[in-house]
Amino acid sequence: MRARDFFDRWLPWIAGPAMLIALYCIFLVAPTEKDQGVIQRIFYVHVSSAWTAFIGFGTVAMSSALFLWSGHDRYDRVAHAAAEIGVLFCTFVLLTGPIWARHIWGTWWQWDPRLTQTLILWTLYVSYLMLRAFGGNDDLVRRWAAVLGIFGVLGIPIIIRSVRILPGIHPAVLMTREGDTGLVDPGMRLALYVTAVAFLFVFVWLVHLRTRLQRLADTMALMHAEQG
Amino acid sequence: MEGSMRFLTNLFAAYAVIWVGLFLYLLGLTRRTRRVEDELESLRALRGR
Amino acid sequence: MLAILWKDLRIEWRTKEMLSSLAVLAVLLVLTLTFAGQAGTVGASAGRLAGALWVAFLFAGLLGIQRSFLLERENQCLAGLLVSPVDATSLFLAKLVGNVIVLGLMQALIVPLGALFMGSGMAANLPALAVVLALGNIGFAAVATVFAAAAVRTRAREVMLPLLVLPLLLPLVILVVKATGAVLGGTSLGEVGPSLTYLLAFDAIYCTAGWMLFEFVVRE
Repeated sequence: MRARDFFDRWLPWIAGPAMLIALYCIFLVAPTEKDQGVIQRIFYVHVSSAWTAFIGFGTVAMSSALFLWSGHDRYDRVAHAAAEIGVLFCTFVLLTGPIWARHIWGTWWQWDPRLTQTLILWTLYVSYLMLRAFGGNDDLVRRWAAVLGIFGVLGIPIIIRSVRILPGIHPAVLMTREGDTGLVDPGMRLALYVTAVAFLFVFVWLVHLRTRLQRLADTMALMHAEQG
Repeated sequence: MEGSMRFLTNLFAAYAVIWVGLFLYLLGLTRRTRRVEDELESLRALRGR
Repeated sequence: MLAILWKDLRIEWRTKEMLSSLAVLAVLLVLTLTFAGQAGTVGASAGRLAGALWVAFLFAGLLGIQRSFLLERENQCLAGLLVSPVDATSLFLAKLVGNVIVLGLMQALIVPLGALFMGSGMAANLPALAVVLALGNIGFAAVATVFAAAAVRTRAREVMLPLLVLPLLLPLVILVVKATGAVLGGTSLGEVGPSLTYLLAFDAIYCTAGWMLFEFVVRE
């Protein structure tokens, strides 16, 4: 029971303050970028959301695999929860990206490789959620959703590479180098990492809450079924 | 400095998207959870547990 | 009275769900078209033809695979197969090959027509074209075969298969349109470049994954 206590009681008190500390770092520790000005501060939440979205999908895939392997419903609940919250963060990336890009490039959307691959990730998330929404609650649909989750994560390396060789793609506009944040200033680095960690805590906490909701809902469904 | 005013509004918009989004989701979660918990309570009461 | 109210609310909720699934499908369609269009910008008319062909293949193929599955279901074929001592992996391979053949036949019809209507002055490298088309088919079929059965079991059966399959196929669209455009323009297989390599990787990954995971979705 101790693990659950941690999630229920302590995690919100870690996640909340972490977000506030992140805000502090973003606005008061990191210096203003010389070329882009204040608007560059979107970068910290934009990239953190992206990292969280990808980790979220990894969680979906891993839980799905564990579910298929072990048959325990618990893993399926985690997968479903991670998908819901992952898509939320993915949406954040797709909303903050254009807001930022608009100021730099003047248009709302650019076929930037990172944004494009996030868009594809978003569609993967949504198709998973649609399957669960339309498929109902039986075991077979859960297994199909698990397979979908695994199939999705398997595609990610190819998605990243194929998006890069897409002829219409612009060179990375929002970030300078692949796999590198391109940040030199230590204050900026700190802000980014603190924000990323804070987002991760929030993600874990929300997944915990959502999983708990699903567990209660499943119990309720069982009771309804028993009553006939 | 009109340009920087627009910058600030959009910066605010981006952060609002995230904070409001998270807040709304959390709100929805707590509401759904409370509803399910209430229904579970009443089901258990009906059962006479 | 409460029961009637509940039922009415559920009907309304269902309509909203339908709208959302159509909205998502619309996004997917636009994305597919965009990627096919962008990947088809290489080599001018050959590229455009490649993009158009693959969009046609995708949608005809999805319909075809869905239809064949529905027919099978109506005739209780699947139930019969499951009772017989056929293991899941052989079943997967059999369905996969079947779907690939169906797709190939369809392409054999569509490609000449497409070339006739759109491909003026093209030097197509036919054996290479066959190889590229086959590779695309295999990847497509690997993904669609696994989820065809899933789609019909859901409430939104007609839109479900594209909804499930298109996101997974988006990288395939990019890669295969690029490769097809290249060979339609006369490039030899060796010179097509990374898109061919990644296409092979896509096929390998998804055939293996489908082969290994099919058993999980076939037993009741």
